[in-house]
Amino acid sequence: MAQGNGAGASQIVIDRLSHMYRPAHGRPVLAVDDVSLAVGHREFIALLGPSGCGKSTLLYLLGGFLPTEAGTITVDGKPVRGPGPDRGIVFQHFALFPWKTVRANVMYGLKRAGLPRGEQEKRAQDFIDLVGLHGFEDSYPSQLSGGMKQRTAIARTLAIDPKILLMDEPFGALDAQTRSLMQEELLGIWQRSPKTVIFVTHDVQEAVYLAQRVAVMSARPGRIKAIIETKFDRSDPHLTKTKPFIDKVDEIWELVRAEAIKAQMGRAP
Amino acid sequence: MSAALARVGPALGVGLFRYLPILLLLLLWLAATRFDWVSTGVLPPLPNVLVSGYDLVTEGDFWVNTGSSLYRGGTGLLISIVVGGALGIAMAWWRPLRYVMSPIVEIFYPLPKSALIPVTALWLGYGDTSKILLIFLGCMLPVTIGAYNGARGAEQTLIWSARSLGASRLQTLFDVVVPSALPEMLNGVRTALALSFILLVASELIVARKGLGYLIGFLGDGGNYDGMFAVVLAVAMLGFFADRLYLAFNRWVLRWRE
Amino acid sequence: MAGIDQHTLAPSPPERRAFDLPEVARVFGWGLIAWAPVIVLLVAWEIFARSGAVTPFLLPPLSRVLERMASELTSGELFVAVGLTLWRALAGFAISAVLGVLIGLAMARVRFFYWFFDPIISIGFPIPKIAFLPIIVLWLGFYDVSKISMIAFNTIFPIVTATVVGVYAVEKEIIWSARNLGTSERALLWEILLPAALPQIFTGLQVALPIALIVGVLTEMAMGGYGVGGTMQTASRMADSLGVFAGIIEIAIVGYALVKLMAVLRRRLLKWHQEAQEPTTA
Repeated sequence: MAQGNGAGASQIVIDRLSHMYRPAHGRPVLAVDDVSLAVGHREFIALLGPSGCGKSTLLYLLGGFLPTEAGTITVDGKPVRGPGPDRGIVFQHFALFPWKTVRANVMYGLKRAGLPRGEQEKRAQDFIDLVGLHGFEDSYPSQLSGGMKQRTAIARTLAIDPKILLMDEPFGALDAQTRSLMQEELLGIWQRSPKTVIFVTHDVQEAVYLAQRVAVMSARPGRIKAIIETKFDRSDPHLTKTKPFIDKVDEIWELVRAEAIKAQMGRAP
Repeated sequence: MSAALARVGPALGVGLFRYLPILLLLLLWLAATRFDWVSTGVLPPLPNVLVSGYDLVTEGDFWVNTGSSLYRGGTGLLISIVVGGALGIAMAWWRPLRYVMSPIVEIFYPLPKSALIPVTALWLGYGDTSKILLIFLGCMLPVTIGAYNGARGAEQTLIWSARSLGASRLQTLFDVVVPSALPEMLNGVRTALALSFILLVASELIVARKGLGYLIGFLGDGGNYDGMFAVVLAVAMLGFFADRLYLAFNRWVLRWRE
Repeated sequence: MAGIDQHTLAPSPPERRAFDLPEVARVFGWGLIAWAPVIVLLVAWEIFARSGAVTPFLLPPLSRVLERMASELTSGELFVAVGLTLWRALAGFAISAVLGVLIGLAMARVRFFYWFFDPIISIGFPIPKIAFLPIIVLWLGFYDVSKISMIAFNTIFPIVTATVVGVYAVEKEIIWSARNLGTSERALLWEILLPAALPQIFTGLQVALPIALIVGVLTEMAMGGYGVGGTMQTASRMADSLGVFAGIIEIAIVGYALVKLMAVLRRRLLKWHQEAQEPTTA
């Protein structure tokens, strides 16, 4: 059942989307099963579920990296036909071009967009500063820490000003402390220049902290089990210690828990 | 001055120590002829070889032949890198091409490339073009396989990132797949480099009227063993330094790796 | 669709097989379908050669080359030539395999040997050793001895290097466990280190064998006489293009057979090795 946030026409409409995963060896398996979802403009929504539940697949379908076979995805009324700079993506393992410097990475999308060279450099510098990497413009990714790499990836995607930001467990490869800091920073960036964000994670706390709505997915084949509103006053620095927050995390965790166990059991080679 | 020496000194010392066995072998060579352990007909004394080498270098014969060899080898190698690399990447990018070419490549890989010497000589004679063709054909495969494996190894998330940053499929090929393929392709080129030397020298020994390989044979036939040894050593050093230079070039190109 | 692999979710690990196969080949047995391009190539050869676009001298039709090979087979020439080339290549290979592994083991275990041989190996590897052929001929004459020596000289380098790397790569925990269980130094070497290093050593042997064949053919061309290389060179000089092409096919088959044999041997000997990987040349 499509659930909108009621704030006018949705930006993204996913209608009865299914996807078969066809590995090179082995049987095809249903990854996403009849998913319907509507996402409003500048909404921050989390896709939450256990490993293998298809949440990343859903994100890749949105990104246009996988073909839509059953069901439809429309963005601003137009169906998704392939990847494009209107839907920027940030991956868990950064996916930085290792042979390019930080600056060159961030400039890449601008170069593809055909901006004049001076413009490219200026914009890139703005975003490098925004993510706090001033001074590291000429470093190569191999010289950076995990957190710095992810900041570069975020800067690179933000630089092309996509309407929609797709994030695939972007902080999953970082240590707990860095992750925590990055969450705060991402929230800050989003609050200053709001965009539609679809944020995939398996971490309940992270989802509740960052998103306005959390879509809980079942174990494979992925269905949307529930959509929970998670509206909080995010300017409160002690938000994560308040009772409403903790209660919400518990409530959602209960929903996820059963699915997580199912996912564990289904983990046959 | 002494500070610089203090830094370079240990490095030099290490280098010297590492290559000491070579020095010992050279001394052995000197001793062997000095003390008549071996007849000089078979092993010319080291000093004679060096003098002969000096003569060859200053009298001009050496440079003409070296130039010829370098021209043939360089051209053949360059063509094989360009064509082989492009083929490998194309095979990784387009499945139909891969299915067509892959058994063909698998067949040609174990063919001893030296078997191409008579046929290229048959087609193009004893001159430059036959050598260039030989080296091109013989050295192409390692580059192709390296480029292919490297391109196949290009990470999906890099390709997807480029696409979502606005790159077309073709742009993704050049912006992501080719740079990703570079490390393995350069490894293949190193093999091709060594192979090119072998094919060059061999073909010049057998089917040529010019070139360093030819010069070796010519000097040997003429009984000028001092000269022959000198050129053989020169060729060996050429191969060695070419490889070292190439490794340094590699390190520079791939400086973005950790 | 080029480039984007629609059938995988996440980035796939780079395949270390030389090339993969279409779905239909797997179904019908790869022997048939995968070789289709080669058969097409051979047929194309025949057609192109007969078309008149090139002279029979430049590219004799495949059928006539095969005829020549058949006649060589019946006259016994083929056996003599291939037999000689194989004998020399394998003899040289065997010598360098034994010597190479011994030197490699010595280098890996005894500091002195490492110090002594390291520069020789490191310099010797990239130099075109074929340039030394006239010197070897000068020292050892025009017979098989020089050919076999040259082959051994060329093939020993990758074998030594592979052995050293292989032994160094043995996890020290394995060595410590062995010592802890009371293994003597000698037993350690032959019963622990050698088997543990075998995958790497075998890879070195797999690299060296084609080199043995290449160099064998080269020395035969340079020195003439019998053997595939010698007959090819003679054919070339006498403008006998059939002979040249027949030689290419013969030696290609030999080379291919040797590589496949080594791959099979590897699978047998190393079935305990969890990767059981062939180098990408197979």
